[in-house]
Amino acid sequence: MEKKHSGIKSLAPYAYITPITIILVTFVLGSVIISIALGFTKYNIMTEPVFSGLDNYRRLMSDSKFMKALKNTLELVVIIVPLQTVSGILVSAFLVANRKKILGKLANCIVFIPVLCADAVAGVVWREFLNGKLPAVEQFFGLFGVDPSMLLGDSGKALVVVGLVAVWKYMGYYVVIYSSGLLSISGACYEAAKVDGAGRLRCFFSITLPMLKPMIILAVFLSLTNSLRCFDLIFNLTGGGPNNATTTLVLYAYTSCFGSSKAGYAMAISNMLFTVVLVIALMQKMLMRRDVSEI
Amino acid sequence: MKKKIISILIVLAMSAALCAGCGNNGSEEEKQGSGGKTLDVWVAPLDDDTVNNWKPLLKDWEKRTDCTVNIKVVPWDSYEETYMTALNSGEGPDVGYMYNEMFPTYIDAGAVEDMSDYVTEEDKAEYKYLGNGYMMEGQYGWPLVTGVPFVLYYNEDILAELGESAPQTWEDFVRICKAATKDTDGDGEIDQYGYAAGMSTSEVGAMQVLNAYYYSALWQNGGQVYSDDMKSVTFADEAGTEAVTWIKELTQYMNPDFMSQSWSEAFANVFGQGKSAFGVYRSSQTDETMFGETYPDLKWDYVTSLKNKDYGTFGATDCLTLMSGAEDKDLAMDFIKYVTGAEFMAQYHEKCPGAALTVSEPYAGDEKMERIYTEDIGKWHGLQAGPCGADILTQLSADFQGIMTDDMTVEEALKEAEDYANNLLDEYWADKE
Repeated sequence: MEKKHSGIKSLAPYAYITPITIILVTFVLGSVIISIALGFTKYNIMTEPVFSGLDNYRRLMSDSKFMKALKNTLELVVIIVPLQTVSGILVSAFLVANRKKILGKLANCIVFIPVLCADAVAGVVWREFLNGKLPAVEQFFGLFGVDPSMLLGDSGKALVVVGLVAVWKYMGYYVVIYSSGLLSISGACYEAAKVDGAGRLRCFFSITLPMLKPMIILAVFLSLTNSLRCFDLIFNLTGGGPNNATTTLVLYAYTSCFGSSKAGYAMAISNMLFTVVLVIALMQKMLMRRDVSEI
Repeated sequence: MKKKIISILIVLAMSAALCAGCGNNGSEEEKQGSGGKTLDVWVAPLDDDTVNNWKPLLKDWEKRTDCTVNIKVVPWDSYEETYMTALNSGEGPDVGYMYNEMFPTYIDAGAVEDMSDYVTEEDKAEYKYLGNGYMMEGQYGWPLVTGVPFVLYYNEDILAELGESAPQTWEDFVRICKAATKDTDGDGEIDQYGYAAGMSTSEVGAMQVLNAYYYSALWQNGGQVYSDDMKSVTFADEAGTEAVTWIKELTQYMNPDFMSQSWSEAFANVFGQGKSAFGVYRSSQTDETMFGETYPDLKWDYVTSLKNKDYGTFGATDCLTLMSGAEDKDLAMDFIKYVTGAEFMAQYHEKCPGAALTVSEPYAGDEKMERIYTEDIGKWHGLQAGPCGADILTQLSADFQGIMTDDMTVEEALKEAEDYANNLLDEYWADKE
């Protein structure tokens, strides 16, 4: 009887993970394999794919639009990640410090609202804000000497605007991550530092930041991957224009697949993006491991 | 123990449900088993409630053919995705609805049928725009929606103040634009423009900037997108370069935020508010009524097309098409002819005004707009449907924006677009051979 029990016992964990394993293998691993395979084909979705070897990748290397999309993608990462990290830490530090005050609680809720809003909706709303000739918006931007209606149409500024909107959109998400890290730091550390005569800034740089390190690494990684994958927001805000100034790899893959019916080529673009994300993920894993060993 | 067994059972049930969810829903069997014929028709949102506007008008046809029509309205924002993914999984419609730029890919893939064999002499005499559905050496489209060309609207008050009348030529247009661009309230800032333009593609898609501004200039200057044999592009020739240079020079008379606004936004925000002499808009038979409500203080009229070397402005022709996957092609074709015929369309246009597709259907619309379909009918037309169309035009649109934002010179941009297009075409024709 005991043997029978232990048999079921040993099977139970496998049964628990069966549904999620099926989902992951089918929809994640399966699609990655299909994408890699189709990257080596000429495929227009409607007819059978034809093997074309490295043709798509060879063409990518001489495709100026791809290079521009890659450059835009990396630029967007450079704009979004540092801003999101710094603003996320500062805002969460402020919110944690004021978490018991009514205004702090209110701000805590407000900062998370954009995260709940769909990217597409946020894109349309910001486009209307900037282009809609709303007197209040024009006056606000006027304080900084900026005409909002000129921003999205300027190929030099459009990508920066997209980046700033993305920072605004996801800030609440990172604030939650940083806040949980801040709340887990023991108050005793700060008390001991105060006894030793440390001021606020000293406490922040010598206690808060080092103890937040695992959270920062995690948030930076998430911010990196999210900014690499950013699609809906850009699609609705600028559509990749003007003159492809805001076309990123994801957007280019999408238009190649559904606009130009070059699904094989689009898969090759996606695979390049996948490689970039994979490298970043491996780097993050290494950093995390080192960080854990340090702790 | 009991708890564990229950948990395992729940897990098994979830796994079974997951597998079942991925399986076939058996709709095919159901369809065949139900007896009567069915016809799947996919259309774009043609009005505010296409299914309910069409369904009552289809009753007679359904009764006559003993066939139920399943209409699916595919939203514009996922239009091509829906078609491609459905065709890929063998679940496409019997009758589809396509715009001009969409056709070449589907023709090449063999997803749509050449309807030439179904065209009778009576059809040729009856259907006014049948030729617009003839492309790539076949009757792949049967026009359903047409007659909404982009035309040039003008503000009668501004023109009267300048002592001008409706422009006819490029020279007239530039002269009026120049005179109209000025500071009217004396604050030192220009607040009235010659030309309300919007070249952002975020809201409307990459092709729209070409539809609204580029094709008219190209055609009016005697240019074309493709060469006659479709083996190369000709938009970068002398006529094409001159046309784009002309538009570029007009930017000094445009609203300064023309790169941030789409053509429709610019029309509403600038021309509609009486702040410009001209604006381009996709016309409709009801503009007189509609503008009367939307812009009550605006006194306006329109010129269908300016003339330089020729007339020309873009008027889309969206067509119904017979899908290759249609089980009963004769039935599908009968449906296409019925829907585009005078009987159906006259009733439909009563609810939702549109251009008459047949000679038997009377004009139903505002009097002011009628000349687009009578004396000016030769001044607008659709686009040549050519190989790699979507790709070529998307690149051209981006380069056109590059010119307008001063990122590239006219020559650089057109050369880039031309090289890109010709490489694609070389590859396309090499594959064909």
